[in-house]
Order: sequence, then structure tokens, then C-alpha cells
Amino acid sequence: MNRILLVARRDFLQIIATRAFKITLLIVPLMLGLVILGTSFMRPPATVAYVVADRSGSIAPVIAHRVELDYQRQVLSDLSAYAARWKLPPPGNDWSDGAAVEAFIAHGGAEGALARMHPPAGATSFKPPPPSYLRVTVPNDVPVDQGAEAFGRAIAPYLANDIQTPQGKRPLAVAVYVPAHGPLRLWTNGRGGNSLIDLIQQERTHQLRMTLLAENGVAPATAAHIEDLEAPVAVTAPPQGGGRSQMMVRSIVPLALVYLLLTAALITGGMMLQGVIEERSNRLLEAVLACVEPRELMVGKLIGLGAVGLTIVAFWIGCALLAAFSVEGVVADYLRPSLAALSQPWMIPVLAFYFFSGYLMLAMLYLTIGSLSNSMQDAQAYLMPVTMSIIVPVFMMMSGVIRNPSGWLPSVMSWIPIYTPFAMLARLGSGVSATEILGTGLLLVVFVTLELMLLGRVFRASLLNTGQPPRLGAFVKLMLRRE
Amino acid sequence: MTALVLDGVVKRFGDFTAVDGLSFSVPDGGVFGFLGGNGAGKTTSVRMMLDILRPDAGHIEVLGRAPSRANAPQIGFLPEERGLYRLMTVMDTVVYFGRLKGMSVGDAGRSANALIERLGLSQWARTALDKLSKGMSQKVQLATALVNRPRLLILDEPFSGLDPVNQGVLEELVREAAAGGATVIFSTHVMQHAERLSDRLLLLARGRKVFEGTQAQARAQLPPRLLLTAQADPAHLPGVARAVAAGVVQNGWQEWDVTLAPGREPADLLQHCTANGFVLRSFDLHRPSLHDVFLHLVGGVR
Repeated sequence: MNRILLVARRDFLQIIATRAFKITLLIVPLMLGLVILGTSFMRPPATVAYVVADRSGSIAPVIAHRVELDYQRQVLSDLSAYAARWKLPPPGNDWSDGAAVEAFIAHGGAEGALARMHPPAGATSFKPPPPSYLRVTVPNDVPVDQGAEAFGRAIAPYLANDIQTPQGKRPLAVAVYVPAHGPLRLWTNGRGGNSLIDLIQQERTHQLRMTLLAENGVAPATAAHIEDLEAPVAVTAPPQGGGRSQMMVRSIVPLALVYLLLTAALITGGMMLQGVIEERSNRLLEAVLACVEPRELMVGKLIGLGAVGLTIVAFWIGCALLAAFSVEGVVADYLRPSLAALSQPWMIPVLAFYFFSGYLMLAMLYLTIGSLSNSMQDAQAYLMPVTMSIIVPVFMMMSGVIRNPSGWLPSVMSWIPIYTPFAMLARLGSGVSATEILGTGLLLVVFVTLELMLLGRVFRASLLNTGQPPRLGAFVKLMLRRE
Repeated sequence: MTALVLDGVVKRFGDFTAVDGLSFSVPDGGVFGFLGGNGAGKTTSVRMMLDILRPDAGHIEVLGRAPSRANAPQIGFLPEERGLYRLMTVMDTVVYFGRLKGMSVGDAGRSANALIERLGLSQWARTALDKLSKGMSQKVQLATALVNRPRLLILDEPFSGLDPVNQGVLEELVREAAAGGATVIFSTHVMQHAERLSDRLLLLARGRKVFEGTQAQARAQLPPRLLLTAQADPAHLPGVARAVAAGVVQNGWQEWDVTLAPGREPADLLQHCTANGFVLRSFDLHRPSLHDVFLHLVGGVR
């Protein structure tokens, strides 16, 4: 093994053995886990129960039908996504159309559609979503013939607890009392959200309007036609794969890489900085420099730090992928489609190029600061302005990218080499021209090469220096000196 | 063969000249003392031998070649200020330096094991260095210098910070290395170590050589001192440059601190006293120590 790799290996092993590294490694997966856990706790239960005491005898079947229709619409939507994922024929027409859902139900629902779709052998089996609402019968001890008040008093304890349903115990979210005549009464504990209440209100309104129209001599067919009328509005929708929400989803991976780059580079850079200061302050470098060229030491350290960063990023990405494919929830719902951004073959090498160029650029800055500092206190004097001059514009740019990826700030910053990796990574998901990628990439390569050359001189000249770190003039002289 | 040659070497740091036209050579084998006070230019010279610094003028040859990292496999170096990777174990540290000097994993491991045992560190071989005492850490650092069984061992102030027991261990290791054929160059400002160890030595002051030669040649730089007890004043005896009465007179006998004129031998004076009836009760010869020589030569430069 040559000396560069020996230095790199030692630095890598030393950093990964530290507690700070282990904490860094675990912090993102832990936060991701907490978010997943949080969303699963905070979201309303997947299935809740409802009871309807219908003294009129007309509304309960309507509500049940509408609940079923809405549920099958959801099944059809999920099945459409499943078909797209496994490249199967679509299970039905537009799932937002009520008639299409009725046809879907009439043709055997999910089971019938799957039989027609013939999923391939390797495909995962389709799991229909749980129903949102399950109707249960009114408990025996709740009177339905003594008026709404008595019903409300008796059902109240059930609303505070779970109730037995065909799928086991579920929270009772809504209780409806429909008298033979007069207004409908409804009790809820809020656990099922407002959808069921809206649904009941819509169906009840529909019924009332139809009755009123009939009483005013309107023929039932005409009344139904009036009730179904909707104002024609021509909507131009973004093409498939485009649009703001699609763009946001496709930008998740590149934007996440910007955060990963910043976090990983700043954390590991800090670790390396501490290592170099330790080597300088206890004069250990002299013994090392008797065996290793300063240039080899510098390259070895950069490789070692790169390996540390790669380990962290690989671990974090691995955890994110695991979360995307092994858990359900809001995070997974966003992570999975966002990976589609990587389906273009050029995307991964371009992402990797900007990521590692950015990492190398920041690592060299930290290495130089370490070589100039006798203590962490010395280093802070350089670290603060350097870190802030990177973080603040990058965060401003990130919020600009989220509003408009082609806005002037992200576009201009793409051409300032120190911000190029961040700006380009952030914009890649929303589509950037090949010319811009090539131009900024070339500029970045030139900048990083110059940085390694000039700061490399400072690093080599400063390794064994003692006393105060150089002022700006002396620093520039060190960069421009001939070796 | 010559282990080390410096010829007209100059090193400046800005306006300050740390090494000023230094020329000397160290023959193969033996122990060479590189002596000088603080700021004399010892460490700068050592760094130039190791190619850590490049001279502004002059020429250096180490083991017949220009200084470079290519010489590292044949050189052992113990820097003046000690430091090791705190979180590395004793064994890993010694092996790491062995590997940096071009040894294979197996060779470095075997050599490290032997040294660790020799230095009495076996029970701490797997212990991280931040858990060791200062003395033990210094032994580890010495092991990193010796792990490659160097032909040229350069020790910069090796005894600083060591207790007398560990100084003894280090002296023994230096002698062993020299007996094994290595050339040992060690810098120090503690003359007792140089006296005990070095065959030849060089005295440096303000970056300039003030003396190079054997210990005997160094001592010859100062006239010998005698302590005589006599009844008469010895100031008029032939070869005596100066005689100062020391102590009190007891029963007519006086102790005299006598300095001989340059080039005069104490034996000639003794013979003259015996032949001419100059009565002596005692005749003690005090050869100048390296410390005296150092003060004499370096003090003059300062």
C-alpha cells in the first residue's frame, strides 16, 4: 500500500472510531425514524367506525353506498399506480370519474381487475388500502326510538372508545341520528376527520333538493340532471411528469443531496480539522513528515476524509431507501416517487460529480484552516466567516429553488464555483440544460484544481509553522510562493 | 563510507539565519553528538537532513544520497517535541510508522512486537496512547524510530522529559543500535549525555559550527586544572599560568587552584616538583568537562 493510502486509511479509521462519527452516522436515520413514527402517530387511524340510526329509512343506504363508492375510488387509484409500476394495462378509466368507479365495482373491483391485468411473476401482490369507514350497528343499549337527545347521551361513551367491527375493534368516530322528520343530528369525536361528515351533509342536501324539486313538479330525470349539473371549466393541466408538484417530488433527491453535502462536509471537515490541529499542536507531524511528502499527506487526508463522507452518505441513503421501501407513511410516500428522478442514466454520474466536487472543495478549505491553526480557537477565526459565507447564500438559494428553480439567484449561483455544487444539485431535479451542466462542470473542475494547487501550497508551508496564523497578505504570499 | 555530509549549508527564515554555512561529516557507525544551546540551529539542521526543510544554500548527503523520503526506509527519527496519535494503540502506532517507512505488514508487525517487548510495553500493546504515561509514550515514539532497524538513527533531544531510569534505557538502546552497525546522530544541550555516549561531536552556536572532533580534542580546547596542596605558592613553577589559593591554611598547608599554560602537561609539573624538592601533599588533576568546553566555546560566541 503506498504512503497516500496508508495516511488515508489511518485518518479514516481514526475518524470512524470516534464517538462524534457514530453520533453523526445515526442522527439522520434517527430523525427519519422519528418523523416516520411521528407521522404514523399523528395521522388519523386508517379505519374508523360509524353508526347510523335512521328513523327515516332513506339516508342510511345512501351513505353506505357513497362510502363504498369513495373507498372503491381509492382502490382504483392505488391499483392504477400498481399497474404503472409493473407496466400493466390500467385497471379502469379515470378514477376521478364516478361512472368509471361504478364500472370498476361492477366488473368485480380489485379482484376482477387483477385477474384481467395478469401481474408478472416477480411483482409484489397488490394490497388494497384499508377502508376509511366501516358501518356498525347501533349498540343494543342505545335507544333509537326515544329521540335524538336520548340517543346522543347513550352513544357518548361509545364515541370515547373503540367498538367491535367486522375487522376487529376500531374507534367509533361518528354517530348519526336521522329522525323520521326534521333535521339530522350528528355526534363526532373528530378521530375520523371531516370527510364522513361532509359526505353525509352532501348526500342529505342532495336528498332534500331532489324532494323539493319533485314537490315543485320537476320530473325526477330533470331533477337528477339539474342536481348533477356542473359549470364547464376548461382546465389546462401540466403534461405527465411536469407541473409544480411533480417537479417538487423529482427534486427531493437532488435537494436532499445538497443537505447531505453540506451536513457531511461540515461535520467531517470539522473532524479532520481537529485531527490536523492535534497533529500540529503535539508536533506529531514532524515524525510523519520524515516519512511522507507533505503533498502525499494532503492527498491522503483528502482521500481519508472522502471515504468518511462516502460512508456517512452511503449509510444515510441506505437508511432512506430502507425507509422508502419498507415502511408506509408520508415520508415513504414522498421518497418512493422521488427516486424516479434517478431513472435517467446521466443523472447519477452528474449528481455524483457535483457532490464529490463540492465535498473536495470544502474538505480542502478545512484542511488548510487546520494547517494554519494551533488550536480550535485559532481555527474558529477562519471557520466562522468561511462557513457562514457558504451556508447563508446556499440556504437563500435553496428557498429560491423551491419557489422557482430557474430563478435568477439559483441560476447566477450555479456559475459561482464555490456555490456551483449546491446550486446545480438543487436544480437538477427540475431540469437543467446540458450546456449549463457542461459549462458549470468545467468551471468547477478548473476552480477545484486551482484551489488544490494554491491552498495545497499554504497547507505544505504551514504544517510545521508555529506562532500566530498568517494575516491575509502573508496568506496570499503563501499561495503564490514558488516551491 | 560517510553517513552524513553537510557542506556550506545555509537556512534562513526571513531575515533570520538559522543555519549559517554549516559543514561537517559523520562517518559510518558510532555515535555522533550534535550539541548546541537553544536556538543554535540543531533542529533546523536535522529537518534539512530529513528533507522536511530545504536548505537555501549548500549541499547535504544522507547515506550517499540527497535528502528525500526515499531514504526513509533506512532512517529512524525521533523528533524533539513528542507527539503521537492519541487514539491509536501502541502496536498500531509502531506498525503504522514501520509501514510508512516501506515495511510490509508482516515485517512491521514482527519488528514492532520485538521492540514493544524490549521496551517493556507488552502489556499495553493494545492500549490507546492517551491512556499511557508520558514516559511510556516516549518509549513508543522511540519504537517508531527503531522499528525499521535504521542504518541512520537521528535523535533530536532524545533525553528531554525522560526520568533517569528511562534515560538509562534510552542510552542502552542507543549503544545497542550503534553496536549493531547503525550510525547514531543525536542532538542535545545536556553535555553529560554527550559525554557518556558520543564518539565524536559537533558544537553549534548561532547556526555556526564552533567545534567538531573527538571528546579528547574538545577537552584539549581548555587547559587542564590542578588542585595542589603545598606549603609554598606554586605560581612561579614552570608551566603554571595562574595559581589561586583555595580554602583555609591548615597546619601550614594551603590548597591551590592551578591553571597550566596552554600546551603544558600536568605530568611535567609533577616531575619538576619532585626533582626540585617542591613539597606536595596532594596533586589532583581535573580534566575539563564537555560542559566547561561548551561554556567556553559557546559562551564566547554569545
